[in-house]
Amino acid sequence: MANLINLQGNQACAMGAIAAGCRFYAGYPITPSSEIAETMARELPKVGGVFIQMEDEIASMGAVVGASMGGAKAMTATSGPGFSLKQENLGYACASEIPCVIINVMRGGPSTGMPTRPAQGDIMQARWGTHGDHPIIVLTPASVAECYTETIRAFELTERLRVPVIVLVDEVIGHLVETVDLEALAPKETIERRFATGPADGFEPYAVTDDMVPPFPRPGDGYRSHTTGLTHLPSGFPTQNPEKASAALLRTTDKLDLHADLIEACEIIECDNADIIIATIGISARAAQQAVTDLRAKGIKAGLFRPKTLWPFPEKRLKEVAKNAKIILVPEMNQGQLILEIERLMARHMPVIGLNKINGEAITPAEITAKVSEVLA
Amino acid sequence: MDHFEVRFSGSGGQGLILSAKFLSAALVSDGYTVAQSQSYEPVSRGGLSRSDLVVSKGQAAFPLSQGLSFLLILDGAAAQASNDLLNRNSLVLVDSEQVPIPPTGDFNLVNLPFTKTARDLGNKRVANIVALSALVARSGMCSKETLETVVRTKTPPKFASLNIEAFTAGWHLV
Repeated sequence: MANLINLQGNQACAMGAIAAGCRFYAGYPITPSSEIAETMARELPKVGGVFIQMEDEIASMGAVVGASMGGAKAMTATSGPGFSLKQENLGYACASEIPCVIINVMRGGPSTGMPTRPAQGDIMQARWGTHGDHPIIVLTPASVAECYTETIRAFELTERLRVPVIVLVDEVIGHLVETVDLEALAPKETIERRFATGPADGFEPYAVTDDMVPPFPRPGDGYRSHTTGLTHLPSGFPTQNPEKASAALLRTTDKLDLHADLIEACEIIECDNADIIIATIGISARAAQQAVTDLRAKGIKAGLFRPKTLWPFPEKRLKEVAKNAKIILVPEMNQGQLILEIERLMARHMPVIGLNKINGEAITPAEITAKVSEVLA
Repeated sequence: MDHFEVRFSGSGGQGLILSAKFLSAALVSDGYTVAQSQSYEPVSRGGLSRSDLVVSKGQAAFPLSQGLSFLLILDGAAAQASNDLLNRNSLVLVDSEQVPIPPTGDFNLVNLPFTKTARDLGNKRVANIVALSALVARSGMCSKETLETVVRTKTPPKFASLNIEAFTAGWHLV
């Protein structure tokens, strides 16, 4: 007998984090992400974890990075304005390869915007919010069940690869309550961080290994370590030597290419013989999923391409899936962000058309089917 | 019914989301899969507020309302807000006191004294439970026993007997 419960997306993120072994949360509540903090405040102490409400989002992100440097699986959650504030310390975590998970439940923006209303306006900020070339992974759940499973995957990726992972949720999915069976979704085993072992003598905290992921020196284990946001050598100490700086920076981004198979995830529905492919994320993908069914019922060959890992963008998969398509439609609740990436990849092969909505309401299946009929006419 | 959509609408603070949660729990125990969403304004009380249930056998592709089978309106602020989602099969229940100008159109409209019934029980804040009960009694979307069990077990002990009185009064309104 399935153990079905009604669970909210935000709560599912928190439960997923705990199931993945998260034992530290620092945050500053902000609509529409607050239920994540609320759930962590209630549930973390029960499993011996620590919850801290910090004075603001900057300090929250600092606390998360610090806790992770201490060896804990650590997370924070926020929305628009708070996500902007977290960028500097997020950049530090990217540069010094400190595992952490940041959940950003997108609200209408810019600035304080429409706190209780949905948008998908942080697609580019999630990729490029902190300055400089940096590695980052961004996951985009489209259901309550996926809020749970993708948060678990976020921890697996961040711990395994030492790259900060952002879980990018839109307000509809974050506040949506769906019927789920958490027992069926629970991880059988989790992927853990590799801590340094072996001789402490001559240990290099950023040594170049075959998998490009240096083992993490856990404080107290006796390894001499130095952590800095300055571009650093395998020893952890800063360098401005052009060759060495370049090699150090390239390793952190090449690491993602090396582990692309582990990182990449998409949902592909009815794309095999599709004339029109709808590429989108989150609640817009749920609308597109129904639109595909409705369009197929009318004899229009439509398909859905949904990147569950948004960044790095699954470009090989899109190229494969769309090679025989005639048009790509990109519905998104912003003025055109995801479409820029898809145009970069596909515009020379076929028209890429946007469907945008920024009024604080979700895109509906009817709006997508109408747009498809319009572009095919 | 394999797929139907329900909306509780009114103003913030009326307990609309709570009613939706109760109904959602009852429907799940009857074997349905439910997606519940809500919309409210960034204020503690007042402002347009609503909670929707999309009810299906198995997860619905799109979890938001596209055409309401059942609409409850508890406040004049929400009177016209859902007109685009109504059709000739929609059943619309409105509070006869709080909604002076109900929506008009080709659908089934029923005026009922939810707030008055709640006030007669001693607390107008249980109008949400009166209305929930009346909606289920009228529509038959789940059994009386299932909903009553949910109301009884999910209400804090302090308010349990008041909510059960509201449930019973609502059931007999239709």
